[in-house]
Amino acid sequence: MTAVLDLPSTREEAWRWADLGALSAAAALAPVAAPAHEFLDLPGARLLFVDGVLDEARSQLHRVELTDLPTSDHALGRRAAGKGWRLSLDARAAADPVQVVHVATGRENHLPAHIHLGDDAVAQVVETFVGAGWQNRHLSVTLGKGARLMRSVRLLQPAGFVSLREEADVGAAASLVAVFLGAGGQGSRIDARLTLGDGAFGDYGGALLTAGEQRQECAVRVNHAQPDGSSRQLWRAVAADRSQASLAAAVEVARHAQKTDGEQSLRGLLLHRTATVNLKPELEIFADDVKCAHGATVGELDARALFYMESRGIPRARAQALLTRAFVNDALERIGDETTRAAFEADADAWLEASLSRRERSVGSTAPRAVEILPGAEPTQLGPLGAAEGEG
Amino acid sequence: MLRIENLHAEIDGKEILKGLTLEVNAGEVHAIMGPNGAGKSTLGYVLGGRPGYEVTAGSVTFNGPEGPCDLLEKEPHERAAAGLFLGFQYPVEIPGVSNVQFLRESLNAQRAGRDEKPLSGAEFLKLARAQADALGLAQDMLKRPVNVGFSGGEKKRNEMVQMGIIDPAFAILDETDSGLDIDALRIVGDGINRIMRRPDKAVLLITHYQRLLDYVKPDRVHVLADGRITRSGGAELAHQLEREGYAEVVA
Ligand SMILES: Nc1ncnc2c1ncn2[C@@H]1O[C@H](COP(=O)(O)OP(=O)(O)O)[C@@H](O)[C@H]1O
Ligand SMILES: [Mg+2]
Repeated sequence: MTAVLDLPSTREEAWRWADLGALSAAAALAPVAAPAHEFLDLPGARLLFVDGVLDEARSQLHRVELTDLPTSDHALGRRAAGKGWRLSLDARAAADPVQVVHVATGRENHLPAHIHLGDDAVAQVVETFVGAGWQNRHLSVTLGKGARLMRSVRLLQPAGFVSLREEADVGAAASLVAVFLGAGGQGSRIDARLTLGDGAFGDYGGALLTAGEQRQECAVRVNHAQPDGSSRQLWRAVAADRSQASLAAAVEVARHAQKTDGEQSLRGLLLHRTATVNLKPELEIFADDVKCAHGATVGELDARALFYMESRGIPRARAQALLTRAFVNDALERIGDETTRAAFEADADAWLEASLSRRERSVGSTAPRAVEILPGAEPTQLGPLGAAEGEG
Repeated sequence: MLRIENLHAEIDGKEILKGLTLEVNAGEVHAIMGPNGAGKSTLGYVLGGRPGYEVTAGSVTFNGPEGPCDLLEKEPHERAAAGLFLGFQYPVEIPGVSNVQFLRESLNAQRAGRDEKPLSGAEFLKLARAQADALGLAQDMLKRPVNVGFSGGEKKRNEMVQMGIIDPAFAILDETDSGLDIDALRIVGDGINRIMRRPDKAVLLITHYQRLLDYVKPDRVHVLADGRITRSGGAELAHQLEREGYAEVVA
């Protein structure tokens, strides 16, 4: 049965690229057996949620607790209200990594989470989504003064949809780094809002790899509410077949948030000319003494580099994989922990291998459909090598 | 070793090579000189198999270590595995792929094509370091992304380091001398002699100036003008061209 969803219309700007139809379709997927999933070889807490319910026998909570959590009134986030997981660290505490694996066996499931780090506390969280169905998550993060949180999130569901709504309050001189990898077959929406305090650092980015008819998107807003903060939003999209990847990243700088340093780098790579990448870097600056740079480009693999590599003996498919991997690597190299980074890189490699071997078999192409949107501009049709860089 | 017969090739429907015939025997170095736009780089690209360069007539037979083959039938990477090396006039920058990774992939792909086992990381590094040293390329440039931020001269040295590592049977070197100062020219010239001067190898040296030929003595010199070889001679032809210009000599 298809759930009736009360969600915003794609006529609303913040939802224009959302694949809302895929949500109901994902929720209507027939149940599948729970896929096996291995945790990474890291110490610390291991949480296994099957259809949003903790599998206690196969979990170790350590400092994590299960409790009722409120959510915001966000259209997706509010659906996740109820019992969820919470990591709360006192000042100066440092926890072993927390791993969360979200398994879906079909239908839909919703789960809230809260991470609170006291002043100067340090934590690392790795999340993995597998299975099928619609998984919806709400996360709220509060970081005390000087606290540091590193998150790595990978979406590896073969089918279905993952929607994430994240709201973070990053305290003075605190640091929040989040890296997302969409390397499954599911649709996705990564929807986040960060508010940065005095001298805080926020880094939200990742790589969305899409194939087939799949659609994935991020919609991230970073709000510099106080002076001296810096933010990085580095996203890479690789789109094959008739898929669509959309990257929307906004920086807001409040009137008194002087000396803000904001950087956005949004880049799309089309493996097929039937694929689409949408880019929307947005700057809303009300302070006058700020440094905000943004770059947005969509292109194909560099034909000159491909021939150069082939002329040295590297077969074409391998050369394509190496170049695509280099393209994605900018986003993944921000993962600090080596074990986690290696696992994410292996997921990206597996995706590339599968989609590039498929690419070799396909022939012919139609006109490019790369659409790029720049601040204040209407969508423009760009050639495959169309590019635009800007400073704001 | 390489026999090109009546080669016609076009780019975007425009004929650039218009019946080019040339034969290079094993153990020889041939120089190709000619005015800008004559089709010298096009010849290199056609032999390398660059997409977009369409051969409309003629043949190219390559007799490398694996025996004679129709070069034009092979994919670009298969031509490399058969022993052909193309030194680029404008080496390409590849952000995000290190020189070491690029070269190790290249060499091992070629070895796989010849049913040889891949070199280990340590074996490869030893080989790469020795070649970089021989060509005066700083070791740290091996770790940097391919050609990114390299000066013109460093890019050309890097081409020669690649040639040293790959150890091809036949090299086509397209203006490897451009962008080099006089010391670098000598080092690169010595490199070409060291790597390629062997009875079972041969070189096609595309150059604009006579000066590289002081270091790498050619057995034959050809003038390429308007898509054809219009004149051939010994090493002295290069000096004559330098003195009198192409217009005089070719006319
Ligand atoms: N991609 C291209 N499209 C169209 N014409 C080209 C292209 N590349 C080269 N040409 C033309 O082919 C001719 C030969 O060029 P090239 O082989 O680079 O000459 P050379 O190396 O002898 O200076 C020139 O007239 C050049 O303008
Ligand atoms: Mg040229």
